[in-house]
Amino acid sequence: MTIRVYWQLDVAEDAARSEPGARQSGLFRDVRPSTLNRYDYYAQVAQAAAQTAFDGLFVPHRPQSDDSNIVVAAIAREAPRLSLIPEFPASAGSAVYAAKQAVSFQRQTHERLGWAIADAGEAAERARDGDHVPEEQVHARVEEFLTVARGVHAERPFSFAGAHFEVEGGGFHEPLNRVAFPKVFLQGESEEALALSARAADVHLFAAAPLSRLGGLAGTLDGLALREGRSIELGLVQPVLAREDAGDARRDAARAGLPDTAIAGSYAEVAERLAESAASGFRHFVLAAPSSLEEAYRIGQHVLPRFRALTERVAATA
Amino acid sequence: MTIDFYWRLPSHGCHGSLRDTAYDRGDWSPIGPRNVAPGLDRNGEDDGFRYIDHLAAIAKAAESVGFLGGLIPSFPNTDDPWVISPLLARETRAFRFMIAFQPGFLNPVHAARMSASLQRATGGRTVFNIITGGGGPSQLWWGDGFSHDDRYGRTTEFLDVFKGVWGGDRFSYDGRFYQVRDGGLSSLLAREEIPEIWFSGSSDAALESAARHADYYLSWLEPFDQLADKFRRVKERTAALGGEQKCAVRVDLVARPTEEEAWAEVRAGFESLGPERRQQARGGPTDSVGAARQQALRPSEATRYEDLIVAPNLWGGFSLLRGGPALGIVGSYAQCAARLDELIARGTDAFILAGTPHLEEAYRIGEEVLPLLGHKARVLLQAAE
Repeated sequence: MTIRVYWQLDVAEDAARSEPGARQSGLFRDVRPSTLNRYDYYAQVAQAAAQTAFDGLFVPHRPQSDDSNIVVAAIAREAPRLSLIPEFPASAGSAVYAAKQAVSFQRQTHERLGWAIADAGEAAERARDGDHVPEEQVHARVEEFLTVARGVHAERPFSFAGAHFEVEGGGFHEPLNRVAFPKVFLQGESEEALALSARAADVHLFAAAPLSRLGGLAGTLDGLALREGRSIELGLVQPVLAREDAGDARRDAARAGLPDTAIAGSYAEVAERLAESAASGFRHFVLAAPSSLEEAYRIGQHVLPRFRALTERVAATA
Repeated sequence: MTIDFYWRLPSHGCHGSLRDTAYDRGDWSPIGPRNVAPGLDRNGEDDGFRYIDHLAAIAKAAESVGFLGGLIPSFPNTDDPWVISPLLARETRAFRFMIAFQPGFLNPVHAARMSASLQRATGGRTVFNIITGGGGPSQLWWGDGFSHDDRYGRTTEFLDVFKGVWGGDRFSYDGRFYQVRDGGLSSLLAREEIPEIWFSGSSDAALESAARHADYYLSWLEPFDQLADKFRRVKERTAALGGEQKCAVRVDLVARPTEEEAWAEVRAGFESLGPERRQQARGGPTDSVGAARQQALRPSEATRYEDLIVAPNLWGGFSLLRGGPALGIVGSYAQCAARLDELIARGTDAFILAGTPHLEEAYRIGEEVLPLLGHKARVLLQAAE
């Protein structure tokens, strides 16, 4: 089974980097035009991920910074091979319109789009975003959103009348309906989240946690999916920090304030830990580290080859 | 005073010529050896190009001849302008992306974030063409069940919220369609300029909404008296509400070195049509007042192309040859420039021009017609003195 490894481009991190507004005027002669901007950095990270053989780029939803869908489209043509997975909330707008944008993206980029649906956030956050869906309907809304988006992609005429979305006689014509629908990544550990994934996800992305805990959650998800007659691929969002020397890794991890669930260690150690997750059935890995460009090179150059060698060995002996 | 000239990115495929109704640019017709972007290589395999590669060529042509940017239309069977614009953001330098969209399809707070992000990606090259009408069966296709006049109310509220959250933090709004509590874009996003807003719509409800939020009022070409009257009403109504409204026309041109060549092109296109195609061009039922005003020209009942000449250099049969408005301008380069001058003299502040095929005609009109503009205006000015 194929393992897919994505690099995380967190647009809110390294926030001053390449930001024209953050430039210091001073001693040195600065001829950078304002058109040289943050998106050049995003493109750099994408190219770094592509050149070090990541399979894709995962762009989390960060309301305080650039919109993930705009970011992936802006860099898509400069990173021609990568899968691009923007994360966005189901409150973004009409499901039909979201699907139409998705197929347009698929058509122009050789079907490289993935969809990660973001958590709806707390009630106050939703109210700030003009989103008044009641708490108990948050998951139902995601399910309707996906049902309608997939429906207008797969069928014509497609009609649906739900609590949140409605369409009549919908469905895309040629040539918009010729492309594949993006793979859908859902997240969350609550019972509702797992049950939703069982019905509607292609991939469920778990937050990094000890394998014993992840194993339990994955088992629950498998059981729920089985009842739906479906099978959900498992994924992991894993913070990593790898250095040639394990001591350096622990030192830099402390400096960077990484979460407890991060894997920090030598290249070989990080690769082994990831391979353990792969052996437990995880197939999609979103790797994340602050200083996205530099770490993409480091992980891509030193950890991915070791990780892939280990998982191929596991696959061969299985 | 300067006039803004935009071109158009055909997000629904492009014809290589007005004489052929097949979309041989793009994949809206079955792909054959003649198609470009995408096309087939010499072994009959996918050549790897996608339609966006052709749109990139048109955008670069338009920006290089001096068009400010281009309108990117949105219909059920187009690629989407919110995707096309960021895809092309980094390979164009001056080209402004005029995104046509129906505000009801997006959450206004989310739309504000997307727009500010696109402004950052393009250096402020985002323009909006807000569509509210349309209606009929296609609104339900989009998943939108609101009535015509409700949609204008919603558009007004959408723009209230869109501009409100852009204006700073702790923005609250309690409308009929949208409610926001303590919202607002981050300072990183809020320091971008709000995109210029172009509005369409011929109904009273549309004019009311435009008066409040639009920078430009956009109309398809109509017979000049009718159009001048409409623009006068729009400007008067906005002034009565304390605002100021600029007016813009979207129009196709067939411009050739001589008038005879231009009409020969139109005639060849018209005579290539079978009766079925003419029936198709009749158009479906709609609650769009603008579309109804165009259908009144009844091109589908014409038997000769001359039947559709409604005024010097004005032909009412374009909707037979390609989707979109019926009325367009046909003539020599000088005549086309004179008609545009006349529109300017009668209250037009900006244009969205187009020609078939969009790539080559961007060069032709940019190089042959636009430089002739203003000659007649100067003559009129001198005569007035």
